[in-house]
Amino acid sequence: MRTRAALGALGGVLALYGAWLVLSRQDPGQWLEIALWLGAGVLAHDAVISGIVIGLGLLGTRVLPDPWRAPAAVALVVWGGLSIASIPVLTGLGVRPDNPTLLDRPYVATWWTISAIVVLTVVVAGLVRSRREHADDPRTEG
Amino acid sequence: MRAPTPDSFTSRLRSPAVAARVGLWLGICFGTCFLTGLVSHYAQLPSHPIPFPTSPSWGYRVTQGLHVVTGVASIPLLLVKLWSVLPNLFQALPSLRDPRGLVLTILERGSIAVLVASSVFQLATGVANTAQWYPWTAFSFRTTHYALAWVAIGALLVHVAVKLPVIRDVLTSDIDATTHDRPTATVAGALSRRALVRTTFAAAGVAVLATAGSTVPWLRRVSVLAVRTGEGPGGVPINKSAKAARVEEAATSPDWRLEVVVAGEVARSLSYDDLRALPQHTVDLPIACVEGWSAQGTWSGVRLVDLLTDATDADVRVTSLQQSGPYRSTSLPANFARDPRTLLALDLAGEPLSLDHGYPCRLIAPDRPGVLQTKWVTRLEVSA
Repeated sequence: MRTRAALGALGGVLALYGAWLVLSRQDPGQWLEIALWLGAGVLAHDAVISGIVIGLGLLGTRVLPDPWRAPAAVALVVWGGLSIASIPVLTGLGVRPDNPTLLDRPYVATWWTISAIVVLTVVVAGLVRSRREHADDPRTEG
Repeated sequence: MRAPTPDSFTSRLRSPAVAARVGLWLGICFGTCFLTGLVSHYAQLPSHPIPFPTSPSWGYRVTQGLHVVTGVASIPLLLVKLWSVLPNLFQALPSLRDPRGLVLTILERGSIAVLVASSVFQLATGVANTAQWYPWTAFSFRTTHYALAWVAIGALLVHVAVKLPVIRDVLTSDIDATTHDRPTATVAGALSRRALVRTTFAAAGVAVLATAGSTVPWLRRVSVLAVRTGEGPGGVPINKSAKAARVEEAATSPDWRLEVVVAGEVARSLSYDDLRALPQHTVDLPIACVEGWSAQGTWSGVRLVDLLTDATDADVRVTSLQQSGPYRSTSLPANFARDPRTLLALDLAGEPLSLDHGYPCRLIAPDRPGVLQTKWVTRLEVSA
């Protein structure tokens, strides 16, 4: 209990220090924009991303046959994480005409290629697993 | 349609057993990000109460590379962590008849809101910064990313303190144990819990492999989504071009001089040819940028100590031709100024510096953030 209290108190102090840094080093116009970004981040996750993932989950359980679900779930986690981490390079909004060494790869084409590979992998894994399940089924002969 | 409650979520994957296992690694990544971030901000102070070491020369390259790599790895980890605990978002508050419980719950959920908001903010602004994309207009990235790092790490410690008994219990039990599960979380998911945790770690690994080539040279061909290929004049990329810094004219003017100012007096005024006539030295040193990219270069030029006649134990102010910008003029601490590897470089990879790399001359010092390796240098000032 004492460990927890000490840890909690330390955390509270560090967080308050951070809040004080925001308030003391920036002006109210900047506080407002920071607050908007903080709120937008929570909404982007809790409303948009969570909503999409819940929707995909429901769709998956209704549409996908059992052997396809695991490959689809793995693909969603890996592809989704990678795609979200790549938003800044995919938008290309940091590109500067005077600096050809920055953002110098074909990001969007690469992302489409990766997405196609992910879909293909899911299809192959789904087919293989369906066939294996079919072969393992005692009701089928042979 | 009724609002969902925690009981609406029936997958047994959304469980403390999964949350704690993913959360442990998320915590390790956040802790690494926080500490390496502190190192970076300390390195950028104009003077250091405890001297920042000049060796190893690749120290900052490693800490800042780790900062960005662990930040990128945190993105899939955070997404799955939040997914696994999403039902808690719909937990009803205790009734007013239990005021103590109500206050504690509000405090706890408030700390979670702060933690989620600051975590998402840090990761989003951090990766945007690696791509030099600044979609905000008012706040300063550097100041805000620093301040909210304290908020995020503080809220994380509070969260760990609150959940410690559960964390301890689920981490020391089998992953499929149901002791701490919600009563309705009984439906098997598409994956086993173990497979979901492994998939999450794999997702973090894939995100790192796809981006880390900006700082790990042997990953360049694998990192297809990295912000840079690593190409550039002399094999070193550019952060700010001469055009963006508006120095093209001044840097190529025959009137350019390097002034060495000691105690307010111009002690020396050197032309480009004067610098070339001084003893030249060659060093292999990295440029390691705060945005997380880095590259090793072979630099040649004049040792800074050779220019600072009567060099005292003082910091050196290095001023660029830039007319504005926060890094127009930087302070080089005495231990860096006296290091024999610190050069005013004239050449990179055996060729005169390109205009974008800081022609006529730039500072290159070991173990120093790239943003402080001042380009287009025109003035060195010893305050002593």
